[in-house]
Amino acid sequence: MKKKLILNLVITVLLIFPCSNAFSKVYIDIRSPSSTRFPIVIPEFKKSEGLTDKNNLAKKMAGVITRDLDFSGFFRILDPKAIDTALLKGVTTNKIKWDVLSIIGAEAIVTGRLSIKSQNRIAVELRLFDALQGKFITGKRYEGKSDDYRQIAHKFSNEIFDRLTGQKGGFSTKIAFEKSIDSNKDIFLTDYDGKNEKRLTLYNSLTLSPAWSPDGRNIAFTSYKEGNPDLYIKEIFTGNTRKISGKQGINITPSWSPDGEKIALTLSLNNGNSEIYILTVKNRELERLTRNWATDVSPSWSPDSKNIAFVSSRSGNPHIYTLDLKTKKIKRLTYKGTYNTAPVWSPDGQKIAYSGLNNGFNIFIVSTDGLLKNQLTHRQGNNEDPSWSPDSNYLAFSSDRTGQKEIYIMRADGTNQKKITSGRGNKSSPAWSPN
Amino acid sequence: MKRYLMSCVTIIFIAALMLTVSCATKQGTRSQGGSATSGEAEEAGIGEGELTESEISASAFKEVTEREAELAPIFKNIKFGYDSFALKSEAKATLDKVAEALLRKTAIQVMIEGHCDDRGTNEYNLALGQRRANSAKKYLVQLGVSSNRVFTISYGEEKPIDTDQNEEAWANNRRDHFMIR
Repeated sequence: MKKKLILNLVITVLLIFPCSNAFSKVYIDIRSPSSTRFPIVIPEFKKSEGLTDKNNLAKKMAGVITRDLDFSGFFRILDPKAIDTALLKGVTTNKIKWDVLSIIGAEAIVTGRLSIKSQNRIAVELRLFDALQGKFITGKRYEGKSDDYRQIAHKFSNEIFDRLTGQKGGFSTKIAFEKSIDSNKDIFLTDYDGKNEKRLTLYNSLTLSPAWSPDGRNIAFTSYKEGNPDLYIKEIFTGNTRKISGKQGINITPSWSPDGEKIALTLSLNNGNSEIYILTVKNRELERLTRNWATDVSPSWSPDSKNIAFVSSRSGNPHIYTLDLKTKKIKRLTYKGTYNTAPVWSPDGQKIAYSGLNNGFNIFIVSTDGLLKNQLTHRQGNNEDPSWSPDSNYLAFSSDRTGQKEIYIMRADGTNQKKITSGRGNKSSPAWSPN
Repeated sequence: MKRYLMSCVTIIFIAALMLTVSCATKQGTRSQGGSATSGEAEEAGIGEGELTESEISASAFKEVTEREAELAPIFKNIKFGYDSFALKSEAKATLDKVAEALLRKTAIQVMIEGHCDDRGTNEYNLALGQRRANSAKKYLVQLGVSSNRVFTISYGEEKPIDTDQNEEAWANNRRDHFMIR
């Protein structure tokens, strides 16, 4: 039964056209800050003959792709109603009235054809065209469970993003976060757009600070499930959970090394003074990194494995510091403000995001040399716990601007802030999965 | 029933992940190990784990009012300043009496819980709460209480006793709380 279920779930992805990737044109330069949004139109998908689309998936799937591209900030979504459907007779090149598309200003069009195979099985053909040249760019055919229509649509969003920008799309990524229900907290996962929420832990305890391993297969977290705040790793695929640090005092704030072999963490041991350590996952070997009377906490590994950003109160207030792992030299990165915490190194290595107190907590980014600083959130409650998307273009964070803590995502320049969670319970500590 | 639901959720979850991986693999972007197919139930298989160093579980300790009600007026919460783990004079006065009681009643062990107000960052507050608990422990030990009778744990800002958002509430939440056994 289970086996069949899993088999049923496997989507077959078939390239329906040979990919002519020899010299692919970059339509959108995402590194150029002045680039205008690329106009694209995504009409409701066509329906093949056969079973009826009771759940309106033809419309919903087009909607998922529309929202993906819109959130990315690189696209201007044209109203599909501007195209007379009579002019879009089919989903292939010779069935589209190209002159009409250029009149509405579209530079690309996405077409889809959906067929309902059975009660819970769909097949969909998706194509992307260059609307100015009337030229096919890419096409895919997906088959899978109707329930997974969002995942299928996200996959084609990735394909579109990849073909038009030359960069990998992150629309299939996930976000782990803490949710408090009654007096307990557990770890949950959602798709990056907040849909498809799943529970990862159920310990009737406090379970905090999820951190993805670089391969996306494990999540490290702190839990009080056995009394003390100890550090655990849970394998997502098997559910296997093991304790990897159960020292006296706190065992908190895990950050995986880029190769996935080590975890930087905070331990207080028996004297209560928290310091940063590196734990080798395989043999549980510990290396101590900081040695200071002050509170040192919240390490974050640089993507080149050479440095660790962390919080220290050694100046009297919590500020962001970096530590060179080779020389052990410590550099202070923030001076302004009285309370700067939760640093996270961007996956491209260029900058560090953190939360700082300035009329409530706000999200900031600072270049790794400390020279350029930018505040991304303003006067909207407390904004904390930043986490980078794998392409460094977006940040997830928590905010209590609605009165309850929810998870938000935004572009790394602070625009397009979007709440992705809802329902009962405060949500915090988002962790964006690798791609 | 609950268990059935849980395993359903787990299966759906694994299935969703399988889907992601299987597609990614087809595109040659991620290698797939054998583990994805082997497990379905939570906590399945033999997991190796590390034992906690201290065998004392926080849950073994009870509220003073429950265990030794007459001691409750002595084991009062002690309060701290903003972002501080320094013991104020009122805190020391309370701890003097706590030490006296512990020296008198040698069968009692105490768990000091360090707590914070919710204005800071959760992670930083977990570290701060630990220091608050350890400040009190250190003081008690200086007064002659054996260190193996005094345990500490930090809850950071996770367990506020006053959920208002004002100076008084924050001050109430910045505390060490005593549990005994």
